[in-house]
Amino acid sequence: MVDVLGGIIKAFELIATGDPTLYGIVARTLFFSSIAVVLAMLWGTPIALLISLRNFRGRTIIKAFFNSLIGVPTVVLGLVLFLIFSKSGPLGFLGLLYTPAAIILGEAVLVTPILISIMSNAIEAVDPEIMNLAKTLGASESQAAIAVLKEALNGVLLSNIASFNRAIAELGVALLVGGNIAGLTDVLTTAISRYTARGELDFAIALGILLMLIVFGINVVLIMARKAKMLFTLWRNPQ
Amino acid sequence: MHTWQKLIIIATLSTVILIAGTVAYFNYFAKRRLIISTTTSLYDTALLDEIEKRYETTHNVDINIISAGTGIAIQHAQNGDADIILIHSPAMEKTFLEQGYGVNRKIIAYNFFTIVGPENDPAGVTGKNATEALKSIAVYGERLADQSGQTKVWVSRGDNSGTHSKEQNLWKAAGYNYTLVSAEPWYASVGSGMGDTLNVANQKTAYTLADIGTYLKFYTDGVISLSALITEEQALLNVYSVMAVNQTYHEQINYADAMDFIEYLVSDEAQQFITDYGKADYGKSLFYGAVQPLKSNAPQPIVSWIKSAAFFDGSECPPQYRKNYPQLYS
Amino acid sequence: MITAELKNVTKAYGDKTVVDQVNLQIQEGEILALLGPNGSGKTTLLKILALIEAPTSGVVEFQSEAVTAKNAEQLRMQSTLVFQKTTLFDSTVYSNVAYGLKIRKIPREVLDEKVAKALKLVKLEGFEKRPAKKLSGGEQQRVAIARAVALKTKLLLLDEPTANLDPKNAAIIEEVIAAVNREDKTTIVMATHNMFQAKALPHRIALMNEGKITEVGSPADVFGNLSRNLARFAAVDNTFAGTAKATAAGTTMVDIGNGVQIEVTAQKRGEVSLFVNPQDIILSKSAVESSARNVFKGKITEIKDLGSLVKLKVNVGKPFTVQITKRSFIEMGLNLNSEIYIAFKASSVQVL
Repeated sequence: MVDVLGGIIKAFELIATGDPTLYGIVARTLFFSSIAVVLAMLWGTPIALLISLRNFRGRTIIKAFFNSLIGVPTVVLGLVLFLIFSKSGPLGFLGLLYTPAAIILGEAVLVTPILISIMSNAIEAVDPEIMNLAKTLGASESQAAIAVLKEALNGVLLSNIASFNRAIAELGVALLVGGNIAGLTDVLTTAISRYTARGELDFAIALGILLMLIVFGINVVLIMARKAKMLFTLWRNPQ
Repeated sequence: MHTWQKLIIIATLSTVILIAGTVAYFNYFAKRRLIISTTTSLYDTALLDEIEKRYETTHNVDINIISAGTGIAIQHAQNGDADIILIHSPAMEKTFLEQGYGVNRKIIAYNFFTIVGPENDPAGVTGKNATEALKSIAVYGERLADQSGQTKVWVSRGDNSGTHSKEQNLWKAAGYNYTLVSAEPWYASVGSGMGDTLNVANQKTAYTLADIGTYLKFYTDGVISLSALITEEQALLNVYSVMAVNQTYHEQINYADAMDFIEYLVSDEAQQFITDYGKADYGKSLFYGAVQPLKSNAPQPIVSWIKSAAFFDGSECPPQYRKNYPQLYS
Repeated sequence: MITAELKNVTKAYGDKTVVDQVNLQIQEGEILALLGPNGSGKTTLLKILALIEAPTSGVVEFQSEAVTAKNAEQLRMQSTLVFQKTTLFDSTVYSNVAYGLKIRKIPREVLDEKVAKALKLVKLEGFEKRPAKKLSGGEQQRVAIARAVALKTKLLLLDEPTANLDPKNAAIIEEVIAAVNREDKTTIVMATHNMFQAKALPHRIALMNEGKITEVGSPADVFGNLSRNLARFAAVDNTFAGTAKATAAGTTMVDIGNGVQIEVTAQKRGEVSLFVNPQDIILSKSAVESSARNVFKGKITEIKDLGSLVKLKVNVGKPFTVQITKRSFIEMGLNLNSEIYIAFKASSVQVL
């Protein structure tokens, strides 16, 4: 039978001795997920601002669209992106398949819906007069939008943390467009599946522990932030 | 200008920079990239990792190994997403060569599949040949008291891999309709790699078809307690071949490095390394280099088994599928 | 000098015209009061003057310069609007007051001093570090006023600055308005419902109804000659128009319509306007005998919490605004639609 206890002890040894392969994977995972969230922020924020501050036809449909995208299985998105990035796919000429950029772009696409949904809910919860208030105090269009985002700060933070959480814990996209290439595109989740398949359970356990620690840490931050009143209402009425 | 317009411009710029940076890096700054798509059985034993390390010390190339089943490896080559494929399914390889996607096939190694199962062997397969063993397992499965699907007797990869197609052929040879057998309640299909399949068979104390490399590694590491009940016989022979992906369809293929790596794989040094790999840890070779045996026609009957299983028109690579590099076939 | 001018300004939302062909000049250094009933377009007009809403048609000029989409952001720097509904950033009092100054890139040392000065003006010295949204309603509105006056803009726009405040807070704000106009020569446009504010503070009054400016004049003119419009449009609370007649007993009765007849002490006849101070009206749950000559039965149609005070609308055929303390409101157990009697002396009624 599998020596689970021995595996766990060895796993802690690996963690304690600072095994370079192990921490290389952790560093890569954190790096890819952070860049992905930053990218998603950059293209998600304007969309969130538009659908929450402007009234136009089809606004509800767009919101519903992003809400439903939150639940897309990561492997499905991974497959779609694989077909797009594959050399015979529409973006194949870029040669992005099995590169870090493919994972980053894939994860950014993956977390964009959750980011937009949480952020637009938070912005909608802000007093609609804040925008006018900032303007009448002299703010430009951009400064006024920033003032609104600041009022929605808790929600904006929540959207980032939730996005990071999803990016770091997903497997499908990283596996299918990253290829799980050792030392280049392997991240915590894909590396766990590799080392489990290879029977190197101590390594898999060590990676699993680190992944859990990171996710746990993020959620502790989340719970602390949730003490804020607005965040609480957001949590209770996510739609 | 509105904030959202500015943000969209920044977002677009960042995305373009990320893509352009990656493209520039891999095209101009990084070492040349050689993508190998391979089967899980080769990958999970870490043999390729070791070969990669040795090769990279003397060559200015970055080898990237993608591990998948034989099916997706072939798909990779067709799409142009890999430069080399390393697989073990002669029938698929033949079609692949015929369609013109692959060139310069070389048989590089062989080993034997093994039927593994619980040590007490409840179906009584020990001493039988592979097809007889499958029959016994099916009979045992049909006579089980529990036909609810909870108790499993046979675990299959079920992932269209080389191992999976080998299993299908064995069931056919034993006189079964594979579609019907795989629907039996005692038959489990994992849809995953060799390691996962062994883990499941171990949990269910069931039989399965495994490549010897993965099995020995898992067994010696104490991850599983299943025994190898049937080994070295013709029906269980497993032949590994390498092919370069044909540049005709995808011009970005790194053909020169692919051929260089193939030449390295058939070199005496690499062949010896393959044969020795794992011997120290498991007391037994996981793979045997196939180049020397094919040249010297020994040991028999294994070489004749290899030829009958993996030669097309009496050759490992008929002349019409070769492209330059005649030294490979001298 | 003209600080701002509206030329033929119209604003429509869909097919609803909110501001209709308005022409208005705002003189430098004046206090102009906008009087008009709810929904007459005062708020929209102020937002147009603040350059945060663009008119559907017409021209807005700021210091003789026509406002366009291009220069609006720049010209907006020279005016500021205090909203009717107190709106604060969810941060400290300091951050709130400093917001506009920071946008104007005021250096840090001057910034602290200016914030402190503005807070002193609204009698909130030392409140810098307090979370703004934790303050009482009156204090919050004073922060909003401080935030606006700290900018020392040419034009200060106030939308019902004291509408929902108790007299103590209202008095502080009125003092501030008078002070900035007197000392900084700030031009002020304010919308108001308050009779006393409209009479005491402004140099000129513009009367607004259904998106149009119907009369512009000095307070004396408006409360004299133009008083009937003032009453008819309910531009300020408790103003009514009616016909005065002598009674058999020698007193004067004014019929303001809907069967409501008010006894007054003034000896006037014919068309008159009346005003009753909301604080002079007494509420009771039953008809009590008293010296009050005017007693009417009605229903509460609106309740507004002003902190220590409560403002009620009682419909007795005509709507009366009544102001009582929160304590008596609670003790009397009043609710929306409660049946109630209002009473006031004939001598409390001002005839305009």
